[in-house]
Amino acid sequence: MTGHRDIPVLETKRLQLRSPRAEDYPDFKATFASYRSRFMGGPLNGYEAWMLYAAEIGHWEIRGFGMWMVHLKDTGETVGMAGGWSPAKWPEREIAWIIWPDRAGKGYALEATHRVRRHFYDDKGWETAVSYLDPKNLDSIRLAERLGAKKDHDAPTVDGSDVVYRHPSPDALRGTQLSHGIDMEIAHYQDPLFKPKGWAID
Amino acid sequence: MTLDIPVIETDRLILRGPRESDFEAFAAFAASDRARFVGGPYPRLRAWGGFLATYGHWALRSYGMWMLEDRASGTTAGRVGFIFNESWDEPELGWHVYDPFEGTGIAYEAATAARAYGTRHFGLDGVISYIDPENARSRALADRLGAIHERDGTVAGHPCHVYRHPVQEVA
Repeated sequence: MTGHRDIPVLETKRLQLRSPRAEDYPDFKATFASYRSRFMGGPLNGYEAWMLYAAEIGHWEIRGFGMWMVHLKDTGETVGMAGGWSPAKWPEREIAWIIWPDRAGKGYALEATHRVRRHFYDDKGWETAVSYLDPKNLDSIRLAERLGAKKDHDAPTVDGSDVVYRHPSPDALRGTQLSHGIDMEIAHYQDPLFKPKGWAID
Repeated sequence: MTLDIPVIETDRLILRGPRESDFEAFAAFAASDRARFVGGPYPRLRAWGGFLATYGHWALRSYGMWMLEDRASGTTAGRVGFIFNESWDEPELGWHVYDPFEGTGIAYEAATAARAYGTRHFGLDGVISYIDPENARSRALADRLGAIHERDGTVAGHPCHVYRHPVQEVA
């Protein structure tokens, strides 16, 4: 037993979302030891990172949902995590994501988070969801906006230092211009650093 | 969602996997002065993380800590079992007893049962226990369990005594 049973596997064009396992821990630890984790309570020492990783798995056990480990379909390598998060006494269930620092900028967070949101709405019956973001975390705020989330000034925050972005409702994502837009952005992703092999013909 | 956490029964206790209903007792202990020997007191959100990690430890290591349920009342009485977190030298046997059950001998009862189970099913024998040097009650329990103060060490950055449990005679 190196991971959790009963965690559904979700797929997208480029990604496979799977249960967090013991062998994925070094990737998680590296990111949470880095400055990248500053908006998620980090950087953490080894012990703290281990406890958080164990808690990620425990969250599945107690809530029936949690954070998936995001793998590239091609190589199986991990690039980050995405899913749901709901600590005791938090106002609402959150949709959350983190991408390893050396994997950022490839559109993985959008692709993975869009998929987990659909799972929560269509398979788990969620009617709404929020993301609690650090107001200084501009990358995540931008992603929330690409996902169609809007700042909710009236919703309670976790501790007053975060801002609440509310995701579009399930209906607002079923066959709408918004959801087509997100699907298109994902489908048409182009690596800005892509270099074609060989010589130009002309 | 279910992990295969085994259930052990003793005279007064049921050792079982955590349930969300255990969290209030867990958090009360974590916030109390008695948690000073286990790195606390902890704010509630840290306690929640530690509580979830009790499950995750089972998933990652295939062994872990059980919650103690008092058979008579159904109350959550403590947490006992094996811990092998990152930065630990080797797997340890740990015990926490929640307030109203302190001094009733249930830690001995649970630790004995857990230790025997670990030897038989997890291949964990002659394990260690990390104990805060100031934690006289816990040291007394280690003595009673036949563990020997082997050396001094640190756990999660805190200086502590390292006790070594005797190798078990498996029946």
